[in-house]
Amino acid sequence: MSPASLDEALVAAAQGGSTEAFSRLVERHQQPLRAFLRRTCGDWAAADDLAQETFMAAWARIGRLKAGASVRAWLCGIGYNKHLTALRSAGRERARAQRYEDDREITLNAHPEDKLALEKAMAELPADQRACVALCLAADFSHAEAAEALDMPLGTVKSHVSRGRARLLQALGVCDDAS
Amino acid sequence: MYRGAVRGSCKRWEYAMTQADDRLKALFAKDEPPKRDPAFSMAVMEQVMRQRFREDVALLSGVSVIGGGALWLVWPTLQPALVAVSQGLAPALGAIALAFCAAMILGGRPTAALGLGS
Repeated sequence: MSPASLDEALVAAAQGGSTEAFSRLVERHQQPLRAFLRRTCGDWAAADDLAQETFMAAWARIGRLKAGASVRAWLCGIGYNKHLTALRSAGRERARAQRYEDDREITLNAHPEDKLALEKAMAELPADQRACVALCLAADFSHAEAAEALDMPLGTVKSHVSRGRARLLQALGVCDDAS
Repeated sequence: MYRGAVRGSCKRWEYAMTQADDRLKALFAKDEPPKRDPAFSMAVMEQVMRQRFREDVALLSGVSVIGGGALWLVWPTLQPALVAVSQGLAPALGAIALAFCAAMILGGRPTAALGLGS
C-alpha cells in the first residue's frame, strides 16, 4: 500500500472514530509537522507544544478532511495557523526570541557557525516567508502544496521562497550557482 | 534536493538543484525530530483520550439531566399508569434495563451504545 493510500485509509478510519487509526496518523506525521514548526518558530519546545495542539485540532476536525487530500499539508496548515495565533499573543514573540537565544547552543552541532547563521537568518525572516522556506526548501513541498497548506496564492509562495532563499544563502555566504 | 524547482516550470524564481540548496537542506536536516517518537505520540493520544472522555461525560450528563427533567415533568401522569401496568411489565422492563447497561459497558462508548454514531 502506498503512503498516500495508507493515509487515506487511516483518515477514513479516524473519521469513523478510530483512535487507533488517528494514533498511526500521529506517528506517521509527527516528524514533518514538528520539523516544520521548529523551523517556523525557532523554539523547539514551543514548536512541540504547537504540534500537540495541531494534532488535537486535527482530531476535532478530521471529519472535514476531504478524501485524497494531503494529510501532511493539512496538518502543516493547521500548525501554521496556530503559530500565527501564538505570534499575535501579546509578548509571545519577545519571549520566544529570548528562548530562542537560550536554546540555540543546544541545537548546534556539526557545523555550529553555519547552523547559527541559518537560524539567525531564519529568525529574521517574516513569519509567512519563513513558513514558505520551511516547507519548500526544507520539507520538499512543491510550491503548489505549500500554497495549499498555508492558504496563500501560488505567486506569493514562489516569491517568498525566492526571497527567503536568497537571504539565507547570503547569510551563509554561499554563492548562488543557480542564478 | 529543491523539489519545487524540478516540478515547476522554468520561470525566473524557480531554480535548478544546486549545491547551495543541498547545503541549505543539510543544515535544515539538523532540526528534524526522530522519525518515531513514542513519547510524543503517546502525549498526543493521551490528550485525545482525555478530550474524548470529557465529551462522553458531557454527553451522559446532558442525557441524564434531560431525561431526569422529562421524567419529572411527566411523572404525575406517568405514575398512575405505571402502577396500573407494573405487575405485568416489571420483568420486561428489568430485562431491558439490564440489556441497556450491558450494551453500555460491553459495547464501548455511550454514543455507539445509544446508536448515535461511532
